[in-house]
Amino acid sequence: MKISTKGRYGLEALVDLAIHSSEGCVSLKSISERCDISEAYILQIFLVLRRAGIVESVRGAQGGYMLAKKPSEITVGDVLTALEGPLVPVACCITSKEDPICERYGKCATFGFWESVMNTLNDVAYSITIDDLVEYYKNNVLNNDYEIEYYI
Amino acid sequence: MKFSTKGRYGLRAMVDLAVNSKGEHVALCSIAERQGISTNYLEQVFSTLRKSGLVKSVKGAQGGYILAEPPSDIKVGRILRALEGPLSVIDEKSETSYDNEIGIEQCIKLCVWDKMNKALNDLADSVTLEDLVDNYRKLVGIDDTMYYI
Repeated sequence: MKISTKGRYGLEALVDLAIHSSEGCVSLKSISERCDISEAYILQIFLVLRRAGIVESVRGAQGGYMLAKKPSEITVGDVLTALEGPLVPVACCITSKEDPICERYGKCATFGFWESVMNTLNDVAYSITIDDLVEYYKNNVLNNDYEIEYYI
Repeated sequence: MKFSTKGRYGLRAMVDLAVNSKGEHVALCSIAERQGISTNYLEQVFSTLRKSGLVKSVKGAQGGYILAEPPSDIKVGRILRALEGPLSVIDEKSETSYDNEIGIEQCIKLCVWDKMNKALNDLADSVTLEDLVDNYRKLVGIDDTMYYI
């Protein structure tokens, strides 16, 4: 059970966008350079995130991308679900009684366990916001850099 | 993000074995029939489970598989790790090494992936095969006492 590169790179690119959006729109090229992810792949990811209402694009010479909401209003769960689909360990977790994909629905020995895996993973993903990640980055990465500069 | 059929079918087959064994060896073909999984595939799955010390096999006409330990001692996490490898939401092999460089990628690892992995492993290690068997008996209405009637 793995989250694909789309989800991993997408989250990384989005946090980079959030960190740099105080300077206005952020170009895909600059995100691509900082994160070392190809511009074409980031574009593909951002088109999906735009449809999900997580980022907005601005056209023109000074154009680029910006967050569509406050970083504190976007959760990791929103981003991963947009890019990967529902976070489920097995496909039957999201089927209904009316439309079961397995004839064992309702009397499966392991369904309850998979359902609790799904709930546990979603609880974690929806409890972390992009703002949490930006703050963590600023406190643990940027501050260290400043310290080094300060003492030199 | 999905578990492979090996983990899914393997876990179901282990519950089936625990329910139907009653101290006896169970033939793979009977598990295969009840669970709608091919015998060939179950052979692969059980070979892995045997190497991990979760089941024991006996050859011969009355042969088959039996749990190596009581169901209450077998954590679901152990079964899934035997079949799927480490329980992680990201591919450990593709992780870059973070020797000196701390960046966004590592912040995400520490704040998101590590937390999801911990929650996943804690959950899988808190549930035993016996819990799944009890749950199954409730669902299908099998009561142990009915065998004594």
